[in-house]
Amino acid sequence: MTSPLSTTVPPTEVGRPAGKRDAPRPRTAEPWTPRRLAAGLGTTVLCLGTVLFVLPFVFTIVTSLRTAADVARSPLGIPHSFTLKNFTQAFSQIHYGTSTLNTLLITGLSCVLITVLGALAGYPLARITAGWSTAVYRLFILGTSIPVFVVVAPLYLLMRDLNLLDTYAGVVFIYTALNLPLAVFFYTSFIRQVPTDLEEAAALDGCGALRTFFVIILPLLRPVTSTLLTFISLQIWNDLLVPLVFLQDPGKRTVMVNAYSFIDPHTVQPTTLFPAALLGVLPLFVIFIFFQRQMVAGMSAGAVK
Amino acid sequence: MFHRRRATMAAFLLPAIAVYALFILYPLFKGVYLSFTDSVGGPISHFVGTDQYKAMADDPQVSAALWHTVLYAVVVVVVQNGLGLLFASMLFRRPRVRKALNVVLLTPTLISPLMAAFIWSYLFAPNGGLNALLDGVGLGALKHVWLGDPSTALYSVATVNIWMFTGYSCAIFLASYLSMPTELLEAAALDGASGWRRFRSVEWPLLAPALTVNVTLSLIGSLKVFEFPLVLTNGGPAGATDTLTLLVYRNIFGGGKFAYGVALAVLLLVTVVVLSSATNSLLRLRERRV
Repeated sequence: MTSPLSTTVPPTEVGRPAGKRDAPRPRTAEPWTPRRLAAGLGTTVLCLGTVLFVLPFVFTIVTSLRTAADVARSPLGIPHSFTLKNFTQAFSQIHYGTSTLNTLLITGLSCVLITVLGALAGYPLARITAGWSTAVYRLFILGTSIPVFVVVAPLYLLMRDLNLLDTYAGVVFIYTALNLPLAVFFYTSFIRQVPTDLEEAAALDGCGALRTFFVIILPLLRPVTSTLLTFISLQIWNDLLVPLVFLQDPGKRTVMVNAYSFIDPHTVQPTTLFPAALLGVLPLFVIFIFFQRQMVAGMSAGAVK
Repeated sequence: MFHRRRATMAAFLLPAIAVYALFILYPLFKGVYLSFTDSVGGPISHFVGTDQYKAMADDPQVSAALWHTVLYAVVVVVVQNGLGLLFASMLFRRPRVRKALNVVLLTPTLISPLMAAFIWSYLFAPNGGLNALLDGVGLGALKHVWLGDPSTALYSVATVNIWMFTGYSCAIFLASYLSMPTELLEAAALDGASGWRRFRSVEWPLLAPALTVNVTLSLIGSLKVFEFPLVLTNGGPAGATDTLTLLVYRNIFGGGKFAYGVALAVLLLVTVVVLSSATNSLLRLRERRV
């Protein structure tokens, strides 16, 4: 998913949790006024709604721990016994070990490239106010709304001519190019808010441009980088189309491609389907637990005036 | 300081521009060119003018797919953002449960579209979770072959999309809520504006930028939908869930109609650009008015 960044306000509070502000409470505090009843009812409805959203997950987890026969007897019944056998089967069926390593490699390399190239480009774009700089910036922003489907066919021919089909490098370059617009947007708007005094002091001390950038600017970009990377790594990890088209070699396939190739949801039992789905999202949940704050900030960045 | 040195700054920009130009901009123009040829992906192709586009105009599959894509996008944008706004406004009024519930609502956005399609393909199956649930609560009459009936298939696929991204819409609205000037909200409370009045005349105008972002994001996202219809129905039943992306994929990689697929991709690009810039301009105008 890309964002309509060409028109949004630059995120001013990127990486920082939103201020703790609460809706002003009504000043009445008598028990059981109609208003309080309504609020209590609202809370109940809210919790029910949230439960509805989580229900498919709970169902998935419970079902994946049951035996196939048990599920067939009653899909929503009380489980009689729990087993981990489904997971071990799914693990080998989608070659989970290899494909996880492949996906990690691709995601990691892409993230590094996106960060370095995006931050490097963001620096001149933020500091130079000349017309050509704005034009280059706009050209990058244009890329946020180009669906990958539009370029996939010519890209395939290009990769074939460059001998990059079936290579990690090819896929990493594609992801880098696809995500650079977002990175350039993030870094440019963030660097604009960094005062220039630091760079000037560094220059007076005889520090070169590159060194200044890596020693002074890059460390300052840590919050925006973590926000950007949580978002981007999510996209890359979950993507199916790019590896499906550009990585045919079974040994190089990602988790999603293997899951898609080896499992047909219309013919297999849920006890095979669900463990595979859970294994596919497991690493992300681990990351989410650690980077919860950055993720929520990253997802809502740009929406805050 | 350094930005006055042109050569240095050009060197900073160069790597990003090179990668972006080679892997995105060049294929973009190449794609537009290829759509005017009879290329089959090989080295030899001839310029055929607008033949591919003429064929597209006469192809009932294409007009159907375009219609499905737009209808799907409208359903997803309206329902997803409506629900997201409802959740966000309720969460904003309940600071104690706000953070926890927002995180819970965000969990579906973490999983990949493919995995969501896996889970829901079983839930929607004739003997699957949803029908069993309806049976369980005594609504057996409502049981349905959700993905097998052309009249419900597209909406069922849209449901998965909505389930996945409602939390995302909610997070964006909530962030906007939390950045509202407290004075305004307090003034409204002091003036005795309650519930609906306060929402309509104070909060709704302040949420305008968040609405723009949300609508644009979900619109672009849903026009590009691929994994859901691919896995859940593969365009079926009887082509009822064929989207533009599925046609592009099928023609380019499955049917030897390479140039035709590329022309369809150009149609997809035009659809995305036209619809997203039109909605965006409208919403921007609205922002200025409110």
